[in-house]
Amino acid sequence: MASSSTQTAAVTTPAVTAPPPSGRRPPVRGPHASSSWQEFRRQGIPAVWSTAAMVLVILLLLGGMVALILSKGLVHLWPASLTQVRTESGAFLGPVVQRETRPAQDGEAARDRILVKIGNRDLNGLDFRWFDVRDIRERTQPKDAIVLERREHGNFHGYLSAIRDGEQVVADRAQAWDKLGSAMHAVRADVNGIERVDGQLEKLHGPVVRLQRKLEIARRRAPADVARLEHEVETETARIAPQVAVLEQERETRGAALAQRVAVFTDAEGHEKNIRLDTIVRAYRPNAMGVFAKIRHYTAKLREFVFTGPRESNTEGGIFPALFGTLFMVLLMTLAVVPMGVIAALYLHEYARQGFLLRAVGLAVSNLAGVPSIVFGMFGLAFFVYGVGGFIDRTFFAATLPNPTFGTGGLLWASMTLALLTLPVVIVATEEGLSSVPRANREGALALGATQWQTLRHVVLPNAMPGILTGVILAVSRGAGEVAPLMLTGVVKLAPDLAVDGGFPFVHLERKFMHLGFHIYDVSMQSPNVEAAKPMVYTTTLLLLILVVALNASAIVLRNRMRRRYRGATL
Amino acid sequence: MNLEDAMPTERDVTQPVTRSGPEPVSTPPADVAPEGSNWAIETRALRFYYGASLALKGIDIQIPRNQVTAFIGPSGCGKSTLLRCFNRMNDLIEHSRVDGEVLVDGENIYRPDIQMESLRKRVGMVFQKSNPFPMSIYENLTFGPRMRGIRDRSSLDQIVEHALRRADLWREVKDRLKDSALQLSGGQQQRLCIARTLANEPEIVLMDEPASALDPISTGKIEETIHELKQEYTIVIVTHNMQQAARCSDRTAFFYLGDLIEFDLTERIFSGPSRKETEDYVTGKFG
Repeated sequence: MASSSTQTAAVTTPAVTAPPPSGRRPPVRGPHASSSWQEFRRQGIPAVWSTAAMVLVILLLLGGMVALILSKGLVHLWPASLTQVRTESGAFLGPVVQRETRPAQDGEAARDRILVKIGNRDLNGLDFRWFDVRDIRERTQPKDAIVLERREHGNFHGYLSAIRDGEQVVADRAQAWDKLGSAMHAVRADVNGIERVDGQLEKLHGPVVRLQRKLEIARRRAPADVARLEHEVETETARIAPQVAVLEQERETRGAALAQRVAVFTDAEGHEKNIRLDTIVRAYRPNAMGVFAKIRHYTAKLREFVFTGPRESNTEGGIFPALFGTLFMVLLMTLAVVPMGVIAALYLHEYARQGFLLRAVGLAVSNLAGVPSIVFGMFGLAFFVYGVGGFIDRTFFAATLPNPTFGTGGLLWASMTLALLTLPVVIVATEEGLSSVPRANREGALALGATQWQTLRHVVLPNAMPGILTGVILAVSRGAGEVAPLMLTGVVKLAPDLAVDGGFPFVHLERKFMHLGFHIYDVSMQSPNVEAAKPMVYTTTLLLLILVVALNASAIVLRNRMRRRYRGATL
Repeated sequence: MNLEDAMPTERDVTQPVTRSGPEPVSTPPADVAPEGSNWAIETRALRFYYGASLALKGIDIQIPRNQVTAFIGPSGCGKSTLLRCFNRMNDLIEHSRVDGEVLVDGENIYRPDIQMESLRKRVGMVFQKSNPFPMSIYENLTFGPRMRGIRDRSSLDQIVEHALRRADLWREVKDRLKDSALQLSGGQQQRLCIARTLANEPEIVLMDEPASALDPISTGKIEETIHELKQEYTIVIVTHNMQQAARCSDRTAFFYLGDLIEFDLTERIFSGPSRKETEDYVTGKFG
């Protein structure tokens, strides 16, 4: 038996390892190889090339995406030169935003046309207009053309002729532009005054509003109290009436004063238009600006974009509420998902008994990661909003029903839904982190008489920290970019109040919120003025991208710092 | 097999003990007490299973106090497995099972009510590959005491200095106790692990090939340390290195295929063993 097996070995071995038949040298790479095509194939060069090519394609796609978003997003805030276009149908003033060549069709020759943002929506109806290049009689870039950013009706493009206060002309012609800034500043006093008066009025009315709400409830539930409450409302109203009268008087005076102060503009056609100074956000003359002035303007616009709220149904102004909402939601989500995921992973990995059940749970967790996010949105709506929120409302906010407090979409429920969505990521990453802890470290701790918990707490967990943070990074980047589930659980187009403000209890988790991802969707797809919204979309996209990258980068820095600490510098 | 899968590991290990034979309490004291108290560790008909395969085939060995006992034998002979039975590190292995008794100071450590933490404090262990925790040297050394609730700074300081001196590491690291233990050299790390075990004030120190991954100079230092330590501790060392066993042990046990072949004074094992297998192994004919 033994001899026969050596026999076969002796026969087979040469077949496997024998050198090629004498006379032929083993193939060598180079010009002298006998069959270079075969050698080429043997080295797998086409395969290597195609792998490199695939990477190249991916890099090009990524680079193209980033370049597009960067260029479009960054350009939006730069002050574009105004062009005055004169045609058959009149004169228009505005920046050229697009050029295209219309292909020849139906016997017509190809024609060039330009898209001009003509502004002045209140005068023209539309603020974008295509012009056929052949129809344009004259194109100029007047130095004194002004762009006004207004609180309503979009931008105004035209020329300043005077500043007036009622019948009195404060400045006109050449002086008017120099005085415009100080005149705009001067009206702030009255604008602020009105805001202050409004605040005081709201405060004064507070008790009455609360009494009226009680009365409302009493009408439904406790008719006995109705008469008493009605009386109370009346007395309270009467009590505050004198103060209210004084404040309303002040408001009216200031309002009237504001209405008097106008700047007189003319559009490209020469039509006069009075614009109240308090409705002007910003005025500038892009054609007269030097590079430094433009850079100053750009930074000011950037600051406005990041730190103020939107205007004009989100097509103008800033995105601060959306930025804040995104960050705050990601923070809440992280606070919820990390402890939950880590603790679950600890049990699954360290304590749970191996067996069918554990395998089933593991499978369920990994499959959870593949569930479409809208399904999580549905679950969040049904469970958190209607279930938990409804319960909270019935238990603690019965007084305000049927108006929901927590029983409607809000920041808290959206964060919880996203926490659930990202839970598998954290669990899986934590489990991987736990498995990567060297067995020697666990044994070392146990051999020193540490309990299993002490080993876990003092040796395993710190060692697994980089893995856990990897999970957090993945969860944050997934959560920050997720939109679909939020649409069901509390994101809105415009949320006037931030979730954190000066009013007790300072953090309002039940409030609806804005989100960059949803903002992009809303502005690009739901905007009444798509052309005006387009640059806003790119700029917001850029900001969302920067936000996600920044969140990831900070988590990665944190992880690397921990890794250095726990893995130690052995070399 | 499925039934075993479903059972928790600890019960897996202890169950056969409770089933097999009389409890140590019920054994006639005349049999055990006089000799039992003489031995630091004693095993009786110890069998160990990895799943279905039998790794120790009924070992009976008595390890004397304050001596160095070396376990030698070819790979897979069960010497490490036996060593890890002495502080129940084998409990961590899934589907493993122990049958028989291990007495430490006359007490069966596989009794179900045994306190694992205090057992492992009494029976310390140094592993083949040094395994300092990714903490400072000081934190490494105070890990055991801290886990047992010693918080007092000055007594911890004292423990650290004492342990480092006995492991002959004090001079090298006394000025850098706050540095990461992972910055030490390989030999220093292993001596740190020895010091960490000593900081627990064990009675017995088990060493599982403590010098196999070290250079000759570090190995020499470790051997010196072992030599000094036997005044105070019972030491059991597993080694592949025949010279090492000859140099630093008082007694040597030779294992082969899960059996204890011969156990005698080291001189006798190396000069005139009574069994042929032992002679073949120590003279390098196989293994």
